[in-house]
Amino acid sequence: QKIEIHKLRQGDNLILGFSIGGGIDQDPTQNPFSEDKTDKGIYVTKVTQGGPAEVAGLQTGDKIMQVNGWDMTMVTHDQARKRLTKRNEEVVRLLVTRQSLQKAVQQSMMS
Amino acid sequence: EQSPSNQTSIAMMQEPQEMVEETVTVEEDPGTPTSHVSIVTSEDGTTRRTETKVTKMVKTVTTRTVRQVPLGPDGLPAMDGSSPMGSYTDSIDRRYLKNGERFITPQASSTLTRSYNSYNDSYPESHEGQYRPYIGHDGYGDLSDNYGSLSRGVNYRPRYAYVPGGTYRPDDGSFTLPSRRENYGPVAQPQVPVGSSVDLNRSQPERFQPEPYGLEDDNRSLGVDDEGYELDPDYSTVNRRTSAGVPERGRPRKGRGYDDPIETEMVEERIPYLHGGYAAPLAQPERGSMASIDRLGKRSPSIDSIRKDPRWRDPDLPEVIAMLSHPIDPVKSNAAAYLQHLCYENDKIKKDVRHLKGIPILVGLLDHPKPEVHRKACGALRNISYGKDNENKVAIKNCDGIPALIRLLRKTNDMEVRELITGTLWNLSSYEPLKMVIINHGLQTLTNEVIIPHSGWESEPNEDSKPRDAEWTTVFKNTSGCLRNVSSDGAEARRRLRECDGLVDALLHALQSAVGKKDTDNKSVENCVCIMRNLSYHVHKEVPGADKYQELDAGQTMGTGGSQKKKKDDAGCFGGKKAKGKKNGDLDRNFDTLDLPKRSEAAKGFELLYQPDVVRLYLSILTESQNFNTLEAAAGALQNLSAGNWTWSTYIRATVRKERGLPVLVELLQSDSDKVVRAVSIALRNLSMDRRNKDLIGSYAMGELVRNLPSRQQRSAKNLEEDTVVAVLNTIHEIITDSSENARSLIQTQGIQKLVAISKSSQSPRETKAASHILQMIWSYKELRNALQKDGWNKSHFQSVSAAPKGSKGTAGRSGYDDSTLPLVDKSQDNEKSGSRDMIPMDELGPDGYSTIDHRDKERKYKASDNTGDASEKEPLKNDTNRKNINRSNRASVNLVDARDIKPQPVDSWV
Repeated sequence: QKIEIHKLRQGDNLILGFSIGGGIDQDPTQNPFSEDKTDKGIYVTKVTQGGPAEVAGLQTGDKIMQVNGWDMTMVTHDQARKRLTKRNEEVVRLLVTRQSLQKAVQQSMMS
Repeated sequence: EQSPSNQTSIAMMQEPQEMVEETVTVEEDPGTPTSHVSIVTSEDGTTRRTETKVTKMVKTVTTRTVRQVPLGPDGLPAMDGSSPMGSYTDSIDRRYLKNGERFITPQASSTLTRSYNSYNDSYPESHEGQYRPYIGHDGYGDLSDNYGSLSRGVNYRPRYAYVPGGTYRPDDGSFTLPSRRENYGPVAQPQVPVGSSVDLNRSQPERFQPEPYGLEDDNRSLGVDDEGYELDPDYSTVNRRTSAGVPERGRPRKGRGYDDPIETEMVEERIPYLHGGYAAPLAQPERGSMASIDRLGKRSPSIDSIRKDPRWRDPDLPEVIAMLSHPIDPVKSNAAAYLQHLCYENDKIKKDVRHLKGIPILVGLLDHPKPEVHRKACGALRNISYGKDNENKVAIKNCDGIPALIRLLRKTNDMEVRELITGTLWNLSSYEPLKMVIINHGLQTLTNEVIIPHSGWESEPNEDSKPRDAEWTTVFKNTSGCLRNVSSDGAEARRRLRECDGLVDALLHALQSAVGKKDTDNKSVENCVCIMRNLSYHVHKEVPGADKYQELDAGQTMGTGGSQKKKKDDAGCFGGKKAKGKKNGDLDRNFDTLDLPKRSEAAKGFELLYQPDVVRLYLSILTESQNFNTLEAAAGALQNLSAGNWTWSTYIRATVRKERGLPVLVELLQSDSDKVVRAVSIALRNLSMDRRNKDLIGSYAMGELVRNLPSRQQRSAKNLEEDTVVAVLNTIHEIITDSSENARSLIQTQGIQKLVAISKSSQSPRETKAASHILQMIWSYKELRNALQKDGWNKSHFQSVSAAPKGSKGTAGRSGYDDSTLPLVDKSQDNEKSGSRDMIPMDELGPDGYSTIDHRDKERKYKASDNTGDASEKEPLKNDTNRKNINRSNRASVNLVDARDIKPQPVDSWV
């Protein structure tokens, strides 16, 4: 699913209103959202209420596949964070996937 | 689930789940040992008490069955027949309650207590041996707790879902344990750093998993697939019992021998009564501590006593090992877990496992696809690999355990498994013959899989990434410990480590990050610094192309040094991070005269070992850390680097000075730790190969050095070891060589008194010799004789009988290990003139020299370039002594202190 988030300006920072976990340098077994515990992708761990991310439809547990076209499936945690917090970008376009979506896809494939 | 009455127990149980960190002292049971006392009352009224001690890290779960020896019903000491009876009833009732878990209700404890008490009373000596221990009056208080815990224990058992149908007979001990282990999950075996083969055997068998299982679960058989075995409702137990009954009885039969003969008898007697229900505790022979818990109530064999009897276990072990090859996976993993538990701190069992060829099977299980299986197998291997007995380590290596471990490391992402693997490797690496094997199979993998990622070093840094911090994970600690050990294995090992891609870079990055975060006392840092120290040893001889940098006689630099060096700009060397590009251009230009190597690209890999940047790092560590081992290693690294006669050493020596390192070192001379004082002294000694250093050290360090010398009168004299005293003496000797100024300082700091005392009355010949050499040298400075005589000294004090003839200063008391021959010393000692000769240059350099230099230094911060060559050459001592050599390097084999760290928390970033 494509989600477009418009960053909110807060003081000196542009924030999106969610937090991420994961990365190739992290321990994937601790990820409560991933189905496959070896998945080292970037997952949304929290979404601030009322924040730009929530407004745009991001949900916790979403796995971020791309940010503005940059791949996020094989990046370190820091790299992921950086890609999301570029100061010169007002809008980030994310490509995310979530369990419910995955199941839907699977079902449609099977039927 | 279980009676919350026992908060403590609960807490304890919880721990395993959380992976509590410290497990090490398993012996000591970090928590309170919980004894689960289960009293099984059989119909016949015999009450059996099984006590299992469960401690978190307890190494052994002891199931003690305290048999309340036939009381009453048996007609045995029936003194308290009545009371026991009372308890019996209770117990019995309980027993039939949830799976005979008696413990469930607090009353149980009370009952128990009562019975206990009564038992105790009633049993006179004969039982004491048997029961006392278990009973322990003091234990009563705990009983309730125990009960609670027991329940808990029991509960968790059920975890094992499978109930293999309890075909397994018995040797119970296995049951409990394996299950327990399963529950544990990460059974972190505490890892003990292997130093002297410390093993982390701590298996945590005892951890109780605080699983909240209902009692019903207990029915499942635990243990090698015997889950259901014990816990099955009385009924099943009964079954077991009966069948076991006879065989159980066999316990004695098996020759297990009860410690207490009386007990045995009792058991036998009891047996007839047992059928009813509880198979005699005997039935469960070994259960391991867990067993009893599991069995709760089922049987309360007097296991404990039996447990202690090694013969007793024998039969179990082959069965357990056989179970490792059982087709059902959970059986395998339970068996492995049980083995881990059994091996915990039990050298005999470890040996037995080896003899029974259990090790190859375990190694084979490392390749098993199921995490449960390979995790437990690895835990078992870790325990087995720990200990003074190195045969097990060899056995592991012989069945290709090392490559198997490395393979698994590459495959798995499971943090716990990685901890276990690296812990095992740490253990194995403490044994000399295996070090090279580990290097061969595992060096690059360990570096790539653990060191580099956890250090935060990035080989290709992105433009916008700031340097990452190191993660001090257990895996990193274990791996760094392992590499520390292997790095001590000699020149070839050093070469391999130096040339390993990315290793040095990552280690340095990690150390810098530690300094940055002011977290320099942890074990991982200690390990890394030790590795660096080891790899710095003999760099001047061992790195490729080293001979290019060899300086000719240091003497020549003195002349050339001055002016040119002043012009040099060290910016290049000092600027930038090590990993990043250096401004080599500058460097080259400036150091042409010094003949420093031209660099066309950034220093990386082993070259980083001797870049002057490391000086700042080591000095920071020396300033911040409180960990003696780390301090010693950092000083050792500086010592190694400043040794030798090559360009880089020259540069390093100057750099230390410029980075204001000398005061740091001098201050460390005040340390209480022998090893630190020793390492720092020798570092100073090497550093004083640089003339300016020598002068500075002479003025500022002399006091501290002298203070470190033993003195009978001085109340606050430190009580240093011989080696340390010798090192200090040698350092003093070095700095007064060719410097009568320094000799004068020595006099002024009341050093003569101590030296004379040492030379005349020390117990150690080395100390005596060293002191005499110094005295002789002092005397050789004629100009000082006046001062000496004024203080009351005369020639006889300075010419000691034991002193070798003037020419022999070579080994100023160093028994040979120190290969420094001090040419300078020779020179000065040989002729009197030398003294005066030395004076002159000294004067020149003297105060002016100092001030100028200092001034310059101040101005330039660390850019001062001058570097006066040092006339004397000294072979840097890597270690104080040869014999220490090994120790030092091998210090690496530090024992791992147990390791169970909390799993690294997942990192969250807000965006």
